[in-house]
Amino acid sequence: MTTLLQSFRKNRALWVTLLVLCITFLMAVRGLVDPIAEGGERYKNVVITILRGLSTGSIIFLVASGFSIIFGLMNVLNMAHGALFMIGAYVGWTMAVRPDTVVDAFTPLVLLSAGFTLLPFLDWSLQKLNLPKVAGGLLPWVGLILAIVVLGFAFPKYPITSWDVGSYEISPTNYAFAASQGQLVAPEPEGFAGISPLVGLGSIILGGILAAISMAGFAANRRRSGAGTGSTKESLPWKSFLIFIGLVFLGWIVYFFNTPISTFLLNIDTTWLFILAVLVAVATGVLLGALIEATLVRPLYETHLYVLMLTLGVSSIIIEVVRAIWGAPEFTMPRPSIFDGTGEGCPAESLGALIEHKCSTIQVLGGRVRTYNEIFIPILGIVVLITVWILLQRTRLGMIVRAGVQDSDMVKALGINVQRIFTIVFALGVGLATLGGVIGAPSTGLTTTLGDSLLINLLVALAIGGLTSYPGAAAGALIVGLLQQFIIKYGQIGIHIPFMDEPFKPTPPLVPAMTVLLMVVILLVMPNGLFGRKE
Amino acid sequence: MDNKALLHVNNIHTFIGQFHILEGVSIHVPKGKIVAILGRNGAGKTTTLKSILGLTPPSQGSILFDGQELQGQRSFEIAALGIGYVPEHRAIFRDLNVSENLKIAERKKGDLARKEAFIFDLFPDLKRLIQLQGDHLSGGQQQMLAIARALVPDNKLLLIDEPTEGLAPVLIEQMMAAIRQLSAETTILLVEQNFIVASQLAEDYVIIEEGQSVKAGKMADLVKDPATIRRYLEAA
Ligand SMILES: Nc1ncnc2c1ncn2[C@@H]1O[C@H](COP(=O)(O)OP(=O)(O)OP(=O)(O)O)[C@@H](O)[C@H]1O
Ligand SMILES: [Mg+2]
Repeated sequence: MTTLLQSFRKNRALWVTLLVLCITFLMAVRGLVDPIAEGGERYKNVVITILRGLSTGSIIFLVASGFSIIFGLMNVLNMAHGALFMIGAYVGWTMAVRPDTVVDAFTPLVLLSAGFTLLPFLDWSLQKLNLPKVAGGLLPWVGLILAIVVLGFAFPKYPITSWDVGSYEISPTNYAFAASQGQLVAPEPEGFAGISPLVGLGSIILGGILAAISMAGFAANRRRSGAGTGSTKESLPWKSFLIFIGLVFLGWIVYFFNTPISTFLLNIDTTWLFILAVLVAVATGVLLGALIEATLVRPLYETHLYVLMLTLGVSSIIIEVVRAIWGAPEFTMPRPSIFDGTGEGCPAESLGALIEHKCSTIQVLGGRVRTYNEIFIPILGIVVLITVWILLQRTRLGMIVRAGVQDSDMVKALGINVQRIFTIVFALGVGLATLGGVIGAPSTGLTTTLGDSLLINLLVALAIGGLTSYPGAAAGALIVGLLQQFIIKYGQIGIHIPFMDEPFKPTPPLVPAMTVLLMVVILLVMPNGLFGRKE
Repeated sequence: MDNKALLHVNNIHTFIGQFHILEGVSIHVPKGKIVAILGRNGAGKTTTLKSILGLTPPSQGSILFDGQELQGQRSFEIAALGIGYVPEHRAIFRDLNVSENLKIAERKKGDLARKEAFIFDLFPDLKRLIQLQGDHLSGGQQQMLAIARALVPDNKLLLIDEPTEGLAPVLIEQMMAAIRQLSAETTILLVEQNFIVASQLAEDYVIIEEGQSVKAGKMADLVKDPATIRRYLEAA
């Protein structure tokens, strides 16, 4: 009891703010209680709105948590996080709707990245060779130009069955519909345009190696100009060869069995496709994150403003790439079949019936709750919340992250390669963002502005919760999610204000405005957010 | 130079931003001894330790540790060669508890388990506090933890920056006893503003003034030389 009192004295502003938020919440809840309905049905709107708030909050949380850990650990405000969220949605959509395209694209991407797995070996040999200054300076540029030439030759000829928004048979919308009906048909496979497959695939491997040589060369020059020579004592990195050979092998296997694999994927249940879509989206995010960190962010760590501008640039590049590949129209993503039943026994009357008939909706207090949006997403949000929490609290990686957030120099001085931790955390953070993207896609649909609105929501959520606090990210996301859904609900039923004849109906544009307003109010009372630490 | 030196800092220059902070610092640390770095506030003592660790990498000069050149290596590689750092103001991780603050310093699995008995023998208080968050420790407890953290892996050299700063006299005594006990097994490069403490602990000294090492020698000689003490160490 005394400790409770002490903590109240210490954090008076926090407790008062939380109290005000609770009272506001209870008032908002009371306004939604239907006085005319009977029994439990009075609370129909309350339950549905809270579930929707949890759902919106969960998606914001998935993205915000990674953003906040990255910022805490390396002081990088990754403005590309929203765009990467969107990438997760689009890549996941492609896997769910056009798995054959993912299979097509798999081979060249794997073969290309195989070259980069040779980096440790290339680093090692460049150190052994110790090229003269001029040759060392030229090498990365020559490698880069050759890589562009070779890849520019091979890639356009590579057969990836494409889609076209303009033509009905191969439009993505049409595929999405067919997918949700379980009637996807693989399009005719294409072949290399005018060159033998051996030359085509070989060129892509070669291009990857050349690009890797260029990267190793740039890194060597950076080291030479004083940023640390590294140690030369290590022996030949054999492992990188094994990985290289393994990847090349994998790429060729998938190339030769392209058609059977595609046909198989097009015919499996949408639930399996959805699980694959999640895996592919997360893997894409992790790899993209590692790539962005290693090539773009790392050289600029010391200059935070440049990193900010850089990630903004990356964000707009990503949006343009998405427009170029997927086109501008809005897509919908089919829900996995276990959350999509509509036939007999649906909407489900009970939890048992829900599981038995795989209903897309469940009857709660006289209202319909959507299984995927309002049950599955919040549960997943909570699962991720707990998983990441355990990762932070119980693993060595988490321990280093928590220490590094405070003082990364001291972590280095303990003999820990913080640089590597940065890459891992950046990769995982982006992985969480793409997870959010693919999970949210069936509920929000896909547009190229998906990332922008999410970025604003996550910034507001983190400002409310405290920029680098993990519980803060969860609280902020929850508050933003609930606030938005309550305003939307009140937009439908209206608020009765005394002395006004007509109930006041907040319009949709008020949603972002109110969110930002709440942030401003909270920041005025608590400049570091609810759970932020005073520095 | 004699080859018993564990650490040999040779005329290093360090810039922080565009400020030329170290303008020629040389230090010689023989194996098994305690060497004290002395000097007024802002002389560059802390920067010297950070330069050895590569946290503020020197732009010129050389640093030989156990026969290896440290210049140009990255901080974590330098530390992993066997250098423990006890920084100014302790730098305890406040979101980690005492046990985690020790655990994080492991370089091999089992480091802590191996050293635990020795560490708790040296600082019995820590054992009692093992579950406490870093930011709930008192200044003295943080200092003990900071030293204990540097003892978890096998280190050949400890860099200790102002271990008695802000401590009560009783604690200073305790800290001195601990450092003396440590010096039986490791070499220590110690920054210490309190001359009485430094003179009782160290065998050799280096004086740094305005970023340069201006004088070095045996502590026993310095104690008998009030003119030098007045010239370099007392408040100007
Ligand atoms: N990040 C920095 N930017 C600019 N100047 C710095 C920075 N860090 C240290 N200095 C300057 O470098 C000089 C040496 O600092 P240093 O901390 O090494 O001194 P010190 O001898 O350890 O002093 P003290 O006894 O107060 O700890 C001081 O003049 C200080 O102002
Ligand atoms: Mg100092």
